[in-house]
Amino acid sequence: MEWDWAFVREIMPTLLDGLKITVLATVLGSALAAVVGLAFALLRRSPNRLVSRITAFLVEFIRGTPLLVQLYFLFYVLPGAGILLSPLTAGVIGLGVHYATYMAEVFRAGIDNTPRGQWEAAKACNLTAVQTWQHIILPQAIPPMIPALANYFVAMFKETPLLSAITVVELMSQARSVANFNYRYLEPMTLVGVLFLAISLIAVPALHLLERRFRRYR
Amino acid sequence: MTEPIIHIDHVTKSYGSFTVLKDLCFSVMPGEKLALIGPSGSGKTTILRTLMTLERIDSGVIRVDGDYLFHMERNGRLVPADEAHLHRMRAKIGMVFQLFNLFPHKTVLENVTLAPMLTKGVRKADAQRRAMELLEMVGMAGKANSMPAALSGGQKQRVAIARALALQPRIMLFDEVTSALDPELVEEVLNVMRMLGTQTDMTMLLVTHEMSFAHDFADRVLFFDRGRIVEEGPPGDIFTNPRNERTQTFLKKIIAAGQRI
Repeated sequence: MEWDWAFVREIMPTLLDGLKITVLATVLGSALAAVVGLAFALLRRSPNRLVSRITAFLVEFIRGTPLLVQLYFLFYVLPGAGILLSPLTAGVIGLGVHYATYMAEVFRAGIDNTPRGQWEAAKACNLTAVQTWQHIILPQAIPPMIPALANYFVAMFKETPLLSAITVVELMSQARSVANFNYRYLEPMTLVGVLFLAISLIAVPALHLLERRFRRYR
Repeated sequence: MTEPIIHIDHVTKSYGSFTVLKDLCFSVMPGEKLALIGPSGSGKTTILRTLMTLERIDSGVIRVDGDYLFHMERNGRLVPADEAHLHRMRAKIGMVFQLFNLFPHKTVLENVTLAPMLTKGVRKADAQRRAMELLEMVGMAGKANSMPAALSGGQKQRVAIARALALQPRIMLFDEVTSALDPELVEEVLNVMRMLGTQTDMTMLLVTHEMSFAHDFADRVLFFDRGRIVEEGPPGDIFTNPRNERTQTFLKKIIAAGQRI
């Protein structure tokens, strides 16, 4: 088993194409996860018991079932009900909604950590509920959550190979296809690992920088 | 004969089995400076929090500036107030808290401009001009661009007063505003309140443990104990010649703790 640099050069463009899709799926998926996760967190706090119960059940249900099963449902089962999604769309939705259930917990904890006095001051300032969330609670609650959210971002990134199961041509599926075609696994799989590691190593400090920028008041 | 600006009528409130307000009745005239004193747990803070709608009441009626606070009239019947009604009522009332509760992610200036811009649609430039006047008044104009974390307790509380004034409330509630301050910082906050007392015609209710300040500042003192007002009157009477036994005991303890009245 010998490392073949010529083979590396040959397959690199294909792998980088796959990496683009992987990064795209992660970025779109985490944006969706953040928005839906926040929505889950807010709905769970709804004074309407029915709304909060249904949300709690939905979150439990999504978190308690495997992502791979959810992806199969989105891509192979939903068309039976007339809902046709492209592989990438199904992948982003699956990844995003699955991780939203984890991010919802982070949001919930962050929101609960905002001192009660802030809610009371907002009320004394006669802000509406929406204004209180927008201007007082979320701007304070979100910066401390960024490290935890960054962990999920990296975890999502590393889960994207699952999308190859629903024919998304991301990094892992590109690597597998060049490997199968050439009967050489060493270089493609090593490169997949290296590329994932490289992106993770860049992403984590970048997200911490983001956190520090948001926390200017500390 | 002017009408009371606050009218509290047979108000009761409990937390579980603990009754904080027992069939409470009192009125406040416009422009009156009222000091609420009494042992902790006596209900004095609860009544301020209730007026700010931070707490609901179990029974009774509160009227503020001619309107019901927690009720509204619909087809001649009193029904619980909706959020829009509470929002309208809150505009008449401002509150300053024991722990300041400044918005830590906003500058001093933004703390004061935020509410007028959001709730009254005041333009930014106008809100800032008005905020600077108020900060000037409380002696904090020099810190307009500081973050609250960089201020001392006394400075925070003066900013909090400016923030409450920015909405031009008719009634101001001061909830133990000097209790969390280091002793040497108490006076700067009390000075601001003295100035408000003499230069404005706002109705002011304060819960305080600063008896000598209450003595000099208030038009009337209410002594609370176990959810009731057991004695009330001009500060001269309450502090120098308390008739109720519980008022006497309370004041003795305060004096024993080293406070001058």
